[in-house]
Amino acid sequence: MAWNEPGNNGKDNDPWKQKGGRDQGPPDLDQFFKELSDKFGGLFGGGGKGGQSGSSPATSIGLTLIIVIALLVWFISGFYSIKEAEKGLVLRFGQFYEIKEPGLRWNPPFIDEVFNVDVQTIRTLPASGFMLTEDENVVRVEFEVQYRVVDPRNYKFSVTNADESLREAMDSALRYVVGHSKMDAILTSGREDVRQKTWQEIEKIIEPYNLGITISDVNFKDARPPEEVKAAFDDAISAQEDEERFIREAEAYAREIEPAARGRVNRMNQEAQAYKQRVLLEAQGEVAKFEKLLPEYEAAPQVTRQRLYLDAMEAVFSATSKVIVDVEGGGNMMYLPLDKIMQNQNRASSNPKKADVQSIRDTVTTNNTQSSSNQTKVGVRSDRTRSGRN
Amino acid sequence: MKNFSIAAVIALIILGISSLFVVQEGQRGIVIQFGKVKRDSNDNTVVYEPGIHFKLPFIEQVKKLDARIQTLDDAPDRFVTGEKKDLMVDSYVKWRISDFATYYLSTGGNKAQAESLLKQKVNNGLRTEFGNRTIQEIVSGERDELMSQAMEAAKSSDDIGISIVDVRVKQINLPLEVSNSIFQRMRAERTAVAKEHRSQGQEKAEIIRADVDARVTVMLADAERKALTLRGEGDANAAKIYAETYSKNPDFYAFIRSLDSYKKSFDSKSDVLIVQPDSDFFRFMKDSKGGK
Repeated sequence: MAWNEPGNNGKDNDPWKQKGGRDQGPPDLDQFFKELSDKFGGLFGGGGKGGQSGSSPATSIGLTLIIVIALLVWFISGFYSIKEAEKGLVLRFGQFYEIKEPGLRWNPPFIDEVFNVDVQTIRTLPASGFMLTEDENVVRVEFEVQYRVVDPRNYKFSVTNADESLREAMDSALRYVVGHSKMDAILTSGREDVRQKTWQEIEKIIEPYNLGITISDVNFKDARPPEEVKAAFDDAISAQEDEERFIREAEAYAREIEPAARGRVNRMNQEAQAYKQRVLLEAQGEVAKFEKLLPEYEAAPQVTRQRLYLDAMEAVFSATSKVIVDVEGGGNMMYLPLDKIMQNQNRASSNPKKADVQSIRDTVTTNNTQSSSNQTKVGVRSDRTRSGRN
Repeated sequence: MKNFSIAAVIALIILGISSLFVVQEGQRGIVIQFGKVKRDSNDNTVVYEPGIHFKLPFIEQVKKLDARIQTLDDAPDRFVTGEKKDLMVDSYVKWRISDFATYYLSTGGNKAQAESLLKQKVNNGLRTEFGNRTIQEIVSGERDELMSQAMEAAKSSDDIGISIVDVRVKQINLPLEVSNSIFQRMRAERTAVAKEHRSQGQEKAEIIRADVDARVTVMLADAERKALTLRGEGDANAAKIYAETYSKNPDFYAFIRSLDSYKKSFDSKSDVLIVQPDSDFFRFMKDSKGGK
């Protein structure tokens, strides 16, 4: 327990009293002043009672004047001001006497000592460093504590250096909390938790020190893995991005391929429908043609048959290359340069086949640079050579 | 007379000043008489609280001692852990004077000496503690255990009139080889995490792709089925129509259909027909009678 708790002029609570000693408190101040004033004729009187020296009537006017001036100077130098944010801590003969509010104040010099302590300004204290976590990793943590002085007396007199004590407590608390947290928590989700715990821990540590300060905020500014492993950490982060990317790419593929497939399905369906229609119509056409021809044929079968046959053969022979061989019994001695013949034939423009979409598209798209075939007819007139073994 | 009175006044003032002493807030005073600490009738040390006090001039000397909580914060110390690894531990001790007479007598009021004594005591405690623990236990262990050791030390610090308020570890720094191995392990862990993420991504992507591929395959197959059905229907319809009509005169149908086939089959110059001129077509090439 502290012996200088505020609100108690420090007389009734010193720890040595418990050991059964008599209270050796300071003598009564008022009595002391009275004695003094008796001795020195008001030199130390309540201050500002004027400088009437009553020691002897023989004192010269000069001495009186000096004393008066000295008193005046002493009196004036007792004025001081306390700023709005401050409180004045007054010690009378070294002992805590009172706390003064802001404003113009007067205290007797040499008797009272006044410390102005800022109790409004928020002070900050940074802390940072490499720390070990519970799972034996190293993290670099940056922290900041914001605090205010609430009890000027304790702030000044309970520890040798309150700010330094807070810093030590903070260092210790921070490492304690980090040492009891997992690295992932510190780096990501558990930051608020670490902040709260650190705050509590600092409060707990400084409680017995009676620093006379209150912590208004604790900021968890930064937590990073050390430089040496940064690359690996970055890679892990980019791996997460990669994971996301792979999924997105697959989704893109899915979105691309599915509509295409639907289109394909539609086309297949349409084509089949069209085929069905086409085959039907073609059949009807063929049949109609046959139906028209049949009565004519039945009227004159012989002639019609002959004519149709010749027309067809004419068409065949005019369209193809022909080699007429008038050799009995398969001329196996004869050499036909078929490949030559083929080469010399540019592919003749075929009669348009059955109209289908493909051919339509071809005629539209490809500029058909098929030169009309020079219809060279190669007529190989083989003499009627006898075979070697006649 | 006047001179004498002035001298008397001055003497009185000197006497007054030397019989008064001021103890500042945050200090306590003890009085030394002829080198002995002044005690009261109960043999307790007389301790002066802050304020102004009297003493016997020239006989009694006042020693003012710091009553505030003080901090012993030394350079980081090297400790050996249970795994025989070195650790640099930066700790601090909060202490205060509890027995002013004892403190004064054992240290002569010399703070540096007091602290060096204290440091030895606390360090011994810490050394014992750390020596039995692994780094893991030191970092994530219970603070109370450390405190208990400190309190052990505190017991023995009574003999220098000091009470220990608190002992705390501020910083633990690993030696280079330990931190290097830690870094390596961290890197390995991260690499594992990275690999896992990437594979998971591949896995999910593969699932998505396979799923859509399967669906597309089924869709296409189904479409194929429908298409073939439709084509089959078409072919069936056509066949029906053909059959109905052509069966009126199959012979003639065969004839004209064959002719059409010839025309279609031999329709380009690349088709080379090698024929003997004895077919029906060339009947009249050999003689005008047509071989009759």
